[in-house]
Amino acid sequence: MSYKIPMGPYHPGLEEPYKLEMICEGETVKDAELNIGFNFRGIEHLAETRNYVQVIALMERVCGICSFIHTLTLCQSMEKLAGIEAPPRAQYIRVVMAELERLHSHVLWAGIAAKLMGFKTMFMTCFALREKVMDVLQAISGNRVNYSMNHVGGVNRNIEDPLALVPMIDALEQEMMRTVIPIFTTSSTARSRCAGIGVLTHEKAVSCAVVGPTARASGIPQDLRRDAPYAAYAEMKFEVPVEQAGDVRARLFVRALEIIESCNIIRQALARMAPGEISSAPEKLVFATGTATSRVEAPRGEVMYSVSWKENSRNPARVHVRTPTYANMPAVRWMVRGARLADTPLIQASIDPCYSCTDR
Amino acid sequence: MTALDTNLDTIREKLGTAEPWVERLGTLWLNPGVARVRDAAWAMSAAGARFITITAYELPGDTGFRLEYHWDLDGRLLGIPFQIDGKTTESIVDIIDAADWIEREVHEGFAIVFTGRVYEPLMLREGEKPGVNLRVAPVQDDPASGMCGQKEVAK
Repeated sequence: MSYKIPMGPYHPGLEEPYKLEMICEGETVKDAELNIGFNFRGIEHLAETRNYVQVIALMERVCGICSFIHTLTLCQSMEKLAGIEAPPRAQYIRVVMAELERLHSHVLWAGIAAKLMGFKTMFMTCFALREKVMDVLQAISGNRVNYSMNHVGGVNRNIEDPLALVPMIDALEQEMMRTVIPIFTTSSTARSRCAGIGVLTHEKAVSCAVVGPTARASGIPQDLRRDAPYAAYAEMKFEVPVEQAGDVRARLFVRALEIIESCNIIRQALARMAPGEISSAPEKLVFATGTATSRVEAPRGEVMYSVSWKENSRNPARVHVRTPTYANMPAVRWMVRGARLADTPLIQASIDPCYSCTDR
Repeated sequence: MTALDTNLDTIREKLGTAEPWVERLGTLWLNPGVARVRDAAWAMSAAGARFITITAYELPGDTGFRLEYHWDLDGRLLGIPFQIDGKTTESIVDIIDAADWIEREVHEGFAIVFTGRVYEPLMLREGEKPGVNLRVAPVQDDPASGMCGQKEVAK
């Protein structure tokens, strides 16, 4: 006999507003339905009432974890419409910030995943490390979460002495190599809780059009930093980790390897940072009539902004955001099919969902 | 000619449009001519393109909507715009699973009906009226809008 278990929108196993209704037989999940929208704020529509300065502050608040990525993608779209390009130094600073945000997101996710595995010590270790990443972000931007770094045509704050940040990155990497990565990749606790569960097959990953680490853990080698480089990524050398198993462990591996790659990219960007201005914005910005689109590889996958403008307007006519969790979350339905009920909180967490992004 | 060029030509031929792909602000655009959106979905699926999203725009003067369908093919961003005169267009969800949520969101935002599919609420709750993005947005500092201005908030 089958029965329905509602998990969420307020549930200890899901600490954000989202509802997973699971149809179970015994302890096995046979199917699931997803309900979102509990955090819907109508931000896209609200953006039409904001001018070209205010809209950046608004879109920074689409997501608390990848706030920099949202303003970067928006500003890149608006730069296309304004016919300007950020100067080389600003492009490098954007790379440093984007990779620090990836580190922040992946370490935060590792902590939450550890908690869901019942590995509380690891949760504490990850959150202590996350503080160190946030210290670097604060040292650069002056802020811990919403960094206010981007504007149309550049960045708001310079990195005065890039090489002074390298020891902080080295220390972060050493700590991750010493604790987080070996424990996650070799410990029997992590293996027993993650291996073979929440499988998203390659075929299903393709048909669901998932993005980011979720896609790469199912054998799809896509990464916009390499495939469609933006900012200064074309000048960076890095690997794109890809796993084939498609289970929670593969998603964990991909993120662990990405942490190392992010540290490499940050070091390269700091060492090669071009001298010069950090902004090319003219005194008055003029946007062409039309639509411009930009895509960025956020920690959770591809973010896309379509921005439409009418001539002589101070406000955008339309801002559309496609966030990575929006693409990844429907795949949770396929991941939990056949899983044990007790594994479902960890399975849904394995895509590193952001409900704030999804609902906007 | 690269594999990408060949794929792009194949898509164009399948849609039966003589116009070439045009690059504008980093996106490759194709005018679909008389082709239907479902033809585009089939052609893109056959080419192995990854569906990204649909962006809806309300056209001025109640003349309808423009729906821009976006795909990724080998890292290139492709866009195909479709203009709809009324409020109805065909669903592609039976061809592309990934279009499910965005069709539901466009329906709720712009009250556009995608035919050939079943609706369930996505962002809105059961019984709420679709067309959220068509409502007149309140203007800040306008007492008539009922929205608190910055001065009131500061007080």
